Amino acid sequence: MSYPLEDNPMTASQLSPLLSANGLCKSFGGIKAVQNVTLEVEQGKIVGLIGPNGAGKTTLFNLLCNFISPDQGSVLFDGKPIHTMPCHSIALQGMVRTFQVARVLSKLSVLDNLLLAAPHQTGEKLSNTWVFAQRPSIVNEEKRLRNRAAEILESVGLSHMIHAYAGSLSGGQRKLLEMGRALMTNPKLILLDEPAAGVNPTLIKQICEHVKIWNQQGITFLVIEHNMEVIMSLCDRVWVLAEGQNLMCGTPTEVQSNAKVLEAYLGN
Amino acid sequence: MVGYLTSLAIFIATYALFSLGLNLQWGFTGLINFGHVAFLTLGAYVTVLLSLNGVPIILATAAGGLCAALLGLLIGLSTLRLREDYLAIVTIGVAEVVRLIALNEEWLTKGTRGVYSYPLPLDKLAPNIAVKLGMIGILAGIFGMGLWQLWKWVSVLPNEDNAVPSVRRLTRSSLPFFVGYGLCLTVLAVILWLGFSVDFGFLFVAVVPLALGVGIPYLQFKQPIAHFKQQPWGTHGAIAIATFTFSVVMMAFWADVLGLWDYTYKAGLMWLLVVSVAIVFWRLEALVNSPWGRVLKAIREDEDVAKALGKNVFRYKLQSLMIGGAIAGLAGSFYAWQLTFINPDGFISLLTFQAWIIVVLGGSGNNVGTLLGSLIFWAYDAATRFLLPVLLPLDDARLGAFRVMVIGLLMIVLMMWRPQGILGKKDELSLGR
Repeated sequence: MSYPLEDNPMTASQLSPLLSANGLCKSFGGIKAVQNVTLEVEQGKIVGLIGPNGAGKTTLFNLLCNFISPDQGSVLFDGKPIHTMPCHSIALQGMVRTFQVARVLSKLSVLDNLLLAAPHQTGEKLSNTWVFAQRPSIVNEEKRLRNRAAEILESVGLSHMIHAYAGSLSGGQRKLLEMGRALMTNPKLILLDEPAAGVNPTLIKQICEHVKIWNQQGITFLVIEHNMEVIMSLCDRVWVLAEGQNLMCGTPTEVQSNAKVLEAYLGN
Repeated sequence: MVGYLTSLAIFIATYALFSLGLNLQWGFTGLINFGHVAFLTLGAYVTVLLSLNGVPIILATAAGGLCAALLGLLIGLSTLRLREDYLAIVTIGVAEVVRLIALNEEWLTKGTRGVYSYPLPLDKLAPNIAVKLGMIGILAGIFGMGLWQLWKWVSVLPNEDNAVPSVRRLTRSSLPFFVGYGLCLTVLAVILWLGFSVDFGFLFVAVVPLALGVGIPYLQFKQPIAHFKQQPWGTHGAIAIATFTFSVVMMAFWADVLGLWDYTYKAGLMWLLVVSVAIVFWRLEALVNSPWGRVLKAIREDEDVAKALGKNVFRYKLQSLMIGGAIAGLAGSFYAWQLTFINPDGFISLLTFQAWIIVVLGGSGNNVGTLLGSLIFWAYDAATRFLLPVLLPLDDARLGAFRVMVIGLLMIVLMMWRPQGILGKKDELSLGR
């Protein structure tokens, strides 16, 4: 392996990584979208994933969550292999993703978008709802989830929109809602796919603040982002992909001054 | 006339039940099922054949529903992991396969000669006065609830263009009219029962109430015509539909009450059907408003999001397909009991598309809309069957074709003017992803 993992004192050997991917490969026909990619996300960190357009970042996300199953390689989350699990089970393990273009459920209310995300609900099971959907356990659970959802909406500044259709939110608000929704699943790790894309500078700052706060509360992040300011201000480590392969891994400053990275972005 | 109205009500309720199943699958989960009639066929045949072989009728019905659910399981297991258009293709195929099996496996289904003289529910019932009153009481309770829901819908209609006076005030002020009109219909039902001409009856049920229902609320103002013109067309449409529904429901109610009093099999069947629809509707509403229903709606909109949030999309789709199938299977039992003779010709794909018309007409993803859609669909069918010969000098074959043409035309107009269906929410259409 050509990237300088061993040089860095804060690596896998000391902190067992929350998420680690080894030798992931995926081809679409003749196009090798991801080739032999390795990635590690340490517990409690905010890790960046950058690379020029078409480098395979989003494909890698899809592979990590098993939205697309890898041709080769393995993914370990929290010590368990997850590349063989269906994607919904991965989410229940505590690893939840957002999408590059925010995908809110526009015909449900903002509140319902959040309520949906709560894991292991009693009322979600047909066996519990088909005879007596208003049983106290379900009603109380809904109440509890509503309070939690209201808290999250309050923290991302969307409480005034709680009963609006999610489809009536602006692009930036949708990103916030999507993050709130991810938070609602009680995750250990959130995969953010371009949280700052198409969002105005003020809101970008807000989003960064939220990510930092949630990180302090113990949630680990893996962030794809093109906006270097965001990467610089957030990330502890950055992984760089180019043409479907690992290019390097290091601190944001190291990455920014690395010749190979500049070459990948700007060409010779 | 009472007999005819009872039959009409049975048709409305059977198709409402049938379409409620489709509405769960399509309206709430977004599954494109073009072979809904397969569930109906299976439900009908299983119920009838089992009960012919001495299985108690209630068990036979349950078995019919169960088999339809199992068919849903089979279809789902084989196609639900694929893209949604494959489900559409496979369901069309399955419906044809089921019909062809019924046609060709003569040892079991008697083929085209059909199955008849099978046991019917409540047909040998000879109720005493207490039972009769009990049945009428339950019926009145259900219809009362239905009308109350209708009333609530009309009185909370959004006042879209801020037109004055508000719809709420209009409908409130027309309450005495509705009550008086209900009484008039009661008298009319009795007159018709004594033997008046059918043409006259339908003119009275369909045309006069529409004019009165839309017009009368405005008589409270000094300038009724000016106020009438101020209201948007949506308001007139809504009040017309409400009045029309009200009159059909009242007629059906009185027809069944009279039928139950001088007990007839059809009246008993209608009673059973109304009770079944009420129970199914009640349970469905509870389900789609539960967290379980929330997941279905999420899947309808974006499967990937539901998956990413840890929902087992495949299982939910399967459940929806199976429950919808079981409901259609139950509708199949009633379909068979009402026809008292079934053969494969009664289970053509047309039924599937009639259910689609009903669901889309009422507004996908709205159970009340489905009930209303069924009522309007069959009331249209009945009204044109009796009215058109009076109005148009055409022979029967041409009239038949003309009626279907007009349905198509009405659907096109509805889709242009109100693509979300009668009770659908317009906001939801205009929202992008």
